[in-house]
Amino acid sequence: MKRLAPLLSLMLMLAIVGCSKQDNFDEREINLVSPEKIAGYDPIHASDQYSGNEAGKVYEGLFEFHPLKRPYELMPNLAEALPTVSADGLTYTFKLRKGVLFHDSPAFKDGIGREMKSDDVIYSLKRLADPKLMAKGWWLFDERIVGLNEWRTKYSALDATVYEEEIEGLKKVDDYTFTVKLKSPYPQFLYALAMPYSFIVAKEAVDHFGKEFLNHPVGTGPFILPRFDQSNLIVYNRNPKFREKFYPTEGEEGDDKLGLLADAGKKIPLVDRINVHIVVESQPKWLSFQKGKDDVIELKDNNIDQAITKEKELRSEHKEKGIRLILKPQLDVTFFAFNHEDKTFQNRKLRQAMNMAYNRAEANRLFYEGTAIDAQGVIPPGMGGYRKEFKNPYVKFDLEGAKKLLAEAGYPGGKGLPEITIQTRNETIARQQIEFFAKCMDKIGIKINVGMNTWPELVNKVTKKQHQMYTMAWGADYPDAENFLGLLYCPNQSPGSNGANYCNPEFDALYKQATVMQDSPERTALYEKLNEMAAVDAPWVFGFNRTRMYLVQAWLKNFKFMEFNHNQFQYLNVDLEVKKELSKKF
Amino acid sequence: MIKYIIRRLLNLIPVLLGVSFIIFVLFNLVSGDPTAVLLGKNATAKQMAELREQLGLNKPLFDQYLDVVKSAFTFDFGRSWATKQEITYMIKQGAYPSMVLTVPAFIIATIFSLIISLVVAFYRGKGIDLFVRILCIAGVSVSALAYILGFQYLFAYKLGWFEISGFEYGFPDFVPYIALPAIIWILLSLGPDVRFFRTIMLDEIYQDYVRTARAKGLSEVVILLKHVLRNALIPIITYVVIQIPSLILGALLLENFFSIPGLGGITLNALNSSDFPVIKAMAILSSVLYIVMSLVTDILYTLADPRVKLK
Repeated sequence: MKRLAPLLSLMLMLAIVGCSKQDNFDEREINLVSPEKIAGYDPIHASDQYSGNEAGKVYEGLFEFHPLKRPYELMPNLAEALPTVSADGLTYTFKLRKGVLFHDSPAFKDGIGREMKSDDVIYSLKRLADPKLMAKGWWLFDERIVGLNEWRTKYSALDATVYEEEIEGLKKVDDYTFTVKLKSPYPQFLYALAMPYSFIVAKEAVDHFGKEFLNHPVGTGPFILPRFDQSNLIVYNRNPKFREKFYPTEGEEGDDKLGLLADAGKKIPLVDRINVHIVVESQPKWLSFQKGKDDVIELKDNNIDQAITKEKELRSEHKEKGIRLILKPQLDVTFFAFNHEDKTFQNRKLRQAMNMAYNRAEANRLFYEGTAIDAQGVIPPGMGGYRKEFKNPYVKFDLEGAKKLLAEAGYPGGKGLPEITIQTRNETIARQQIEFFAKCMDKIGIKINVGMNTWPELVNKVTKKQHQMYTMAWGADYPDAENFLGLLYCPNQSPGSNGANYCNPEFDALYKQATVMQDSPERTALYEKLNEMAAVDAPWVFGFNRTRMYLVQAWLKNFKFMEFNHNQFQYLNVDLEVKKELSKKF
Repeated sequence: MIKYIIRRLLNLIPVLLGVSFIIFVLFNLVSGDPTAVLLGKNATAKQMAELREQLGLNKPLFDQYLDVVKSAFTFDFGRSWATKQEITYMIKQGAYPSMVLTVPAFIIATIFSLIISLVVAFYRGKGIDLFVRILCIAGVSVSALAYILGFQYLFAYKLGWFEISGFEYGFPDFVPYIALPAIIWILLSLGPDVRFFRTIMLDEIYQDYVRTARAKGLSEVVILLKHVLRNALIPIITYVVIQIPSLILGALLLENFFSIPGLGGITLNALNSSDFPVIKAMAILSSVLYIVMSLVTDILYTLADPRVKLK
């Protein structure tokens, strides 16, 4: 024990002396936090927001969303301009930006990154279809490009995939020009090319690193990756060979006033380093932000009331530190879906009654601090097809109306209606939400059971149609309402995204018509019609369009809420003077 | 003894066969089809079928079972279905932070608990004994989460004595990150450990040989350290060594709240994503560690008590 005593003292001393790292006021460094472990950097598997955000720091796509303009606007990135499209809307010709270099890597000759060319784009798109890779992003191009499905099918039976085999739908014209031929009109095609799945990779890097490619990203992006601990810390350094790319000179109205155009015209990236800390639990995330260790956090669940008042105002102790609050509606919808293959729920009046019995105002107060918006239909606000004036007659809390509808449905006071089980995830908040829902339904005589499941169990029940009802949220993949309306399209039923197995021939016919139309007032009108048609048919008990809440340190510049934010980080900046000054308050 | 060790190690074979069988049956019967989870929200029936084929889920069940057995004996677990990372690498990466947190904390907690339990056994029935017993009961009555949240808030955030969360590889860089969770681990362990060790000490203290020693005029300190502690070693070894596998497998709550990238959450994450290769690897690793540690326990018995012979 005598020998151990000095060791213990040394350990405690080291702990105490070395406790707080000094803040860095000399380098432009951003500290971010990710609530999920990062699976890896292979873009074709970047299906979740967090993997996409990390991939977006080292890789780039042909297009990206404008960091300031809203509604979301695509702008060319690796592509020199928007493509030219043939008269039939099927052949797209793309021109690539010249002089774009891949990061230096041992994968290349002499370790020097070479120029990105048409072959790289074609190779990257083909990787999504490679049957050996099982890309999570394949759904974007499945049955879309001429010859791609055939190529996939051919090589699924063979040992190795031959990328050199040319296919009709993906053709190189020269080093900087290529064409894509679609099977049928695909208006969301350019959005697909802006998603992380379609980021451009180099064949040499994929071949060189083999299965370890996911840990050794070699992109053309603004940052390189010196450190990747997937469940601890990721460090990015500025890519010294990044091409000439500049901060936008225009944005949305009011951006200038908010200082979002102060860096207009400057070369990006604006910072030297980004540190991404992986922090799963909310308390350490909250405390680190409060200490000024992280520059921005998204507020969730139990931190919301510590940050804002009931009037949705930032609390004074945070205001004193110069912290800013950003509240922005999210492109998502929460819902309690009926399984329409269950005869019970083929009764429209029952579905409408349940919608009317759900006390959304109270649920909003309980679970979202009153920041969410009642979902009137499938399409969230901020997306073409959402009409502000439309109020779903069944998305209003009216117990008497609900009882009346329930009686008309054949179940007066709930009599004769079997107990309904709603499947959800085994998380506290999910259980509380269903229990609240059950309490609401009980008021009109409907008995609800809660089915708690692990995530795989829940997904299995839904994909195998072994559920009566389930609850879920859907977030936008890209800013087109087709991505939401597809949740009710009959051919998408389980195991597809239509887990409600809702089938309405009239809806399906209009959907088919709308989704091949290019963005236009006519298509928007069709989307509105589809949304409102589905809304009154009550295929789900509609929940909410949630609001995202961010707290941003005063020194972090150019942060604007982006739904599709994987390219956002190169535009961020740090005001070191402000950071130095304010650090005294932390 | 060598023969005994070889025989015990050979016992691993039926155990691994049994574990492989149980994992295989549970995974196939209980968890269902993993492809929808693995492919994400836009999975199609066709893609799910293709993935099932690629993961080998369409192979005859016996062949699938043989794959599990093979990986149990070769320790080649392949890659995670969910993250595509090499599982051996994931375990190596996670075992280091877990062990630098849990092993020192465990050693310190065990030594402290033994000292405290010897002292309270010596002062049995007196004020200090009562005080320690009350503290132990209070300690085990409050949930671990309350300690974690409270200590993190007070010592890391308010007083700034430690890092709030994170981890750095290499000594002494990791010390500021693991010091506070290690202290919490020690405090959390003291309650149950002291109560258990105290009971064992008291069992010994009333034995005839202690009375004999006292009659011969030996001091209480000599009696406690040389005789009581030595005779109490067998249950202590059993209690202590059997905890070692869980040290390697990490401390889920502490690791999560202090963002220490250990093995604590690896199995949980795997369960939440139907990641069968990882579940399989962790179950096999746990079984092997358990067997090896029970063998170590047996060997330590012979050192603690020469009367024990391993045959």
